[in-house]
Amino acid sequence: MALTALDIYKLLPKTNCGECGQPTCLAFAMQLASGKASIDLCPPASVEAKEKLSAAAAPPLPKVTVGTGEREVVLGDETVLFRHEKTFYHPTAIAVSASDDLPDAGFASRLAAIRRLSFERVGQRISVDLVALRCGSGDADRYARAAAAALDATGLPLVLLAPAGPLAAAVRAVAPSRPLLAPSPEDLVPGAKLAAENTLPLRVRARGIDGLSVALSAARAAGAASLVVDPSPVTPREAVDFATNLRRLAILSRNRDLAYPSAFDLGGFPDPFLAAALLVPKYGSLLVLDSADPAELLPLLTLRQNLFTDPQRPIQVEPGVYPIGAPNESSPVLVTTNFSLTYFTVRGDAEAAKVPAHLLISDCEGMSVLTAWAAGRFTGESISKMLAECGIERTVTHRTLVLPGMVARLSGRIEELSGWRVLVGPQESSALPSYLRRLPPGAFLPVHG
Amino acid sequence: MTLPAGPGGTPVTVGGQNALPLLPEGEHPNAPAVGMEVRTGPQELPPALSGAIGPFAGDPAGMARKCAGDWGARFLFLSLAGCHPDAGGQSVSEGAAVVREVLSATPAPVIVGGCGDEEVDARLFPAVAEAAHRPVFLSYAEEKNYRLVAGAALAYGHGVVSWSPIDINMAKQMNLLLADLGFPPDRVVIDPLTGGLGYGMEYTYSIVERIRLAGLSGDAALARPVLCHLGDAWKAREATDASEASWGDVVARGQRWEETTGLACLAAGADLLVCRHPASVARLSGAAWR
Amino acid sequence: MKHSSNSSNEAGSVRFLPDGVDVPLVIEESLLSHALRGGVPLLSPCGGESRCGKCRVLVDGETRGGGDPGVLTRAEIAAGIRLACRCFPSPENVSVTILPESRPARLAAYLDGKDLAGDEPFLPLSRTASGGNPLGVALDLGTSTLAGALVDLSNGTVLSRATADNPQMACGEDLISRVVFAEETPGGFDLLRGRLLSGADDLVRRLLETSPVPGEVTDVVAAGNTVLSHFLYGISPSPIRRPPYRPVRKEYPPVTGETLGSGPATARAQWRIFPSLGGFVGGDVVAGILASGMHRQEEVSLLFDVGTNGEVVLGNRDWRIACSSSAGPAFEGGEVGCGMRAYPGAIESVRIDPETAAVEWTVIGRGRPGGLCGSGILDLCAELFRAGIVDRAGRFTPGAGAGRRSTERGDGFIVVPREMSATGRDVAFCEPDLKSVLRTKAALCAAAEALLRAVGLPREAVAHVYVAGGFGNFLDLRSALTIGLFPPIPLSRFAPLGNASLAGALGALRNRRRWKEALSLASGTLYHDLSSDPGFMELYQRALFLPHTDEESYRFVLEGEVSR
Repeated sequence: MALTALDIYKLLPKTNCGECGQPTCLAFAMQLASGKASIDLCPPASVEAKEKLSAAAAPPLPKVTVGTGEREVVLGDETVLFRHEKTFYHPTAIAVSASDDLPDAGFASRLAAIRRLSFERVGQRISVDLVALRCGSGDADRYARAAAAALDATGLPLVLLAPAGPLAAAVRAVAPSRPLLAPSPEDLVPGAKLAAENTLPLRVRARGIDGLSVALSAARAAGAASLVVDPSPVTPREAVDFATNLRRLAILSRNRDLAYPSAFDLGGFPDPFLAAALLVPKYGSLLVLDSADPAELLPLLTLRQNLFTDPQRPIQVEPGVYPIGAPNESSPVLVTTNFSLTYFTVRGDAEAAKVPAHLLISDCEGMSVLTAWAAGRFTGESISKMLAECGIERTVTHRTLVLPGMVARLSGRIEELSGWRVLVGPQESSALPSYLRRLPPGAFLPVHG
Repeated sequence: MTLPAGPGGTPVTVGGQNALPLLPEGEHPNAPAVGMEVRTGPQELPPALSGAIGPFAGDPAGMARKCAGDWGARFLFLSLAGCHPDAGGQSVSEGAAVVREVLSATPAPVIVGGCGDEEVDARLFPAVAEAAHRPVFLSYAEEKNYRLVAGAALAYGHGVVSWSPIDINMAKQMNLLLADLGFPPDRVVIDPLTGGLGYGMEYTYSIVERIRLAGLSGDAALARPVLCHLGDAWKAREATDASEASWGDVVARGQRWEETTGLACLAAGADLLVCRHPASVARLSGAAWR
Repeated sequence: MKHSSNSSNEAGSVRFLPDGVDVPLVIEESLLSHALRGGVPLLSPCGGESRCGKCRVLVDGETRGGGDPGVLTRAEIAAGIRLACRCFPSPENVSVTILPESRPARLAAYLDGKDLAGDEPFLPLSRTASGGNPLGVALDLGTSTLAGALVDLSNGTVLSRATADNPQMACGEDLISRVVFAEETPGGFDLLRGRLLSGADDLVRRLLETSPVPGEVTDVVAAGNTVLSHFLYGISPSPIRRPPYRPVRKEYPPVTGETLGSGPATARAQWRIFPSLGGFVGGDVVAGILASGMHRQEEVSLLFDVGTNGEVVLGNRDWRIACSSSAGPAFEGGEVGCGMRAYPGAIESVRIDPETAAVEWTVIGRGRPGGLCGSGILDLCAELFRAGIVDRAGRFTPGAGAGRRSTERGDGFIVVPREMSATGRDVAFCEPDLKSVLRTKAALCAAAEALLRAVGLPREAVAHVYVAGGFGNFLDLRSALTIGLFPPIPLSRFAPLGNASLAGALGALRNRRRWKEALSLASGTLYHDLSSDPGFMELYQRALFLPHTDEESYRFVLEGEVSR
């Protein structure tokens, strides 16, 4: 398993020479342990230390890339079994299929539908990553033309699912776009040679872990190096089992013979949506789906967007105005930060007061009130700006703000900048109920002018 | 852990596993169970739900019979939202009467949820505990009210749902507080607060996964079944907004949104799922293998 | 709220009693500002931010504001009691009586520290003076307290010791408040710097006055936190408050007192300031490491410095890593309603009978108790928990019982009823106080766990735990572990150090090799910034429980000693 910072420290020269840019050897060891630095930065390190540390730093699951440039898709290169242990780095790639035996117009509209599977969510674009091209025609030229057309119409990298002949034709047409070659299992060896000759990634498909073990040897013997594996499960349950075993072999056993990113062709699967939704969290690196229904793809892409985030980021609440109960134009206005625990606590206590109110959640990068204040993120300026911009001045007729007691000192600055009057609330959120109930009725009278 | 049923009904037993979910390893004596929510009080149903459960608005007993009888819900989550002052404010005794009615309408196991108003719930839980003529679970006990809820449950032989806001440590702390009161651990279910897909679901995912891993590695206070209530999935705009044509059919999409949230919870290790769409019961039960 | 008429400097004054000091009246200035201007001692731990409610005064004459209903009772407001930071004088003459509990007291406490590594020959920094006997001064510049010792540099004898409040306290109890004060108040930096220098001068004067041997101060060695070291050295501490929280400098080349601006007694002396490790781990901690000797051992030690801030160091002779916890000053009496410093009248230990809830306490000095100091607060929390009056979440359990009362500040426990207290008010420990202690202890414990996790060491590997800081000598370790102030490490591995900063400064003064040792150990100690440690918040939440969410480990450590 991974080396601790002290394990690494013991291998270092312990001179605190600073050549690596870190103040001490321990600091450098901590950087190495968290994968933020490489042993190459330490010139005085012994040969033995360098060997040990570079071996430990190599990713247990190799990295495979499909496509080029902005649309490049990275498969594998993961280091943990559970996202809370560090993070999942490379989102499950999602490919939607198109078949070359569609009539030309139908093929074009299918590609257009795939291209539309791209959505804007919370400031990010989430999209289908690849087009999986099935060879329904059996015709090499038609397949090659379809590959070129798919690339041209969508700009997305391709997964080429085809027998050896059509596959070779398509490679001649689109090799520079770095497609993933997915030959039929009986054409594995010619497919692998094709991949080797063109230095393209190859999907190896065989039944189960044992089947893969044999097929992988054949693919490697044929010269293919950049590999993904499809253990061809027949049920969602089997798919989860295979994907988990492959990932464990890579991360726990560091098995180099079977440790490859997993790819699942869910076409013809009994319940492809269910399998896809389970394989996003459970170790699928690439999924091929036949559905292009946005009602299915939007939830799947959102699931992927959720799970492939850094779990160590503090839980934040979206900044904005939150109603407590059913507030009106003369209800109190409270403000706090967007650290989720702060928000939950304040909301709970404000609700307990049974006084309807508007709760302003200020963007403080997920810091609590005192931390945000100390770091200069919860200031008279930031609160005044929020008052002016969040729309609360249209919602309420008064101009009175209840400020957390911990930051009472901001009241003068807020009053000066925003023109709002500030009431200093309690130090502790737990005192909010009694505080809110005791506020004089005239505290939130309308202002004019 | 068992959610008890009434005469002629099938209790729901979950937990007892010694390995991670969905995998053919270790022992999984019980599969996860999928239940449905029955809610009192006025509700505005999104398009995907109004067709499916709209006809039962205002008829909790009828809805309960339908859920358990026709839709395959193995247990019911009866939410007494109608007792909230902002929701028309059914009285506490009216709320308790609904509980009796539902318990008589079906022998399925029942979890009774409060209305979310601290003061009303402080009166509601004792009233429900007394009114329920067979054992139920009360949802939920949190740090602020656990003495009251657990006290009411203890007095009448009910179980409790132990709630904490997406934090593994708080989940454990709640269970330790309940244990300090002498509450039997086999009558406690953890509710880690389930964020809807797209809106914090990933935090729930990791917390559930960690609770399960901690329980499996010997942390007794976390070795409890986990309940995920998928209701928040229906707060997402993506699940309810019919105006975005490029998002596909809103009815199919809403159901998929809930289903996807539930599948992620199953993958993380949830034992009990509460959903609102009848189709989700069947779909999620299909994935709740052991 | 601003008054348009510019009425400053009208005739009139504010008279402060019992000192009888008259301060010219400025109508838009608070009574606290008047007191500051007039040099009238008045407690204001929060620096005038209206947070602490401790600057209570009795006014006679017309005033505006300061009658905050959340802090003062209706009866108190009616009696004329106001918060000086929120109360403004009217144009008439006003007389203001500073209430006893709002006056900073003074006591020679917190002076002794152990020097576990002080085994070398006497080898002073210098021993020649132009006139008279060469003397050295060791200074510990603390956020709340300044402490000093005078040494005869011809033989190493300690001649006198003294302590005083840090006069910067009136500009903010915590360091961040002072940095903000220096930034935002015109002349604030100079004011704070001047107060620190004059506080040090006063201390040195008292050391010399009480010394049996006359002489001339040739050397001063000062250990202080980074913010105070910056003020002392005349550099702005502003960058320390903002990410990436780095100080302007970590080393302070020796200068003469004259250059620094110190008073005549040390003007010709060389001042050596201990190097800082980072923005919130300063020379006081370096001096503490020096005194603990952890930097010479092969075994791994933990060092806690519990004071107004809490700092933690982990390491051995090869490596060390240090951090500052966001622990508040709960154990210095701050943020706790009935808290006070360890002055006469402070309760220093508490026992509660679990059957009857009867309280027994001991008080520093003679006389009636006025509040609780750090060790008393720690004991009280542990006893309340043991007696089942407080649950693991830090809430009072329901039920009336002896000593329980519902107060304006929530549920409370009456430690001393008003008939027996020095102030005539109940000494009551309330739910917000409990929460404050819980946060402080969680921050300290989590800081230590964060260091262990950062280097990847299990806590079983810790062979020694040194506890430095004001209450280190007096703290009941069992109480500390009962509430989880420290990680669960067997009691036998703990050693109290007392004021280790002063002990370290003394050590360096008496042996120049140790001064060099301090310089090199500082550069080999890594500063770990907890605010950028992504795992810290979780460790903090884990520790925010009594004794800890990992209660099994505490039960194991305290087995047979503490049971509930």
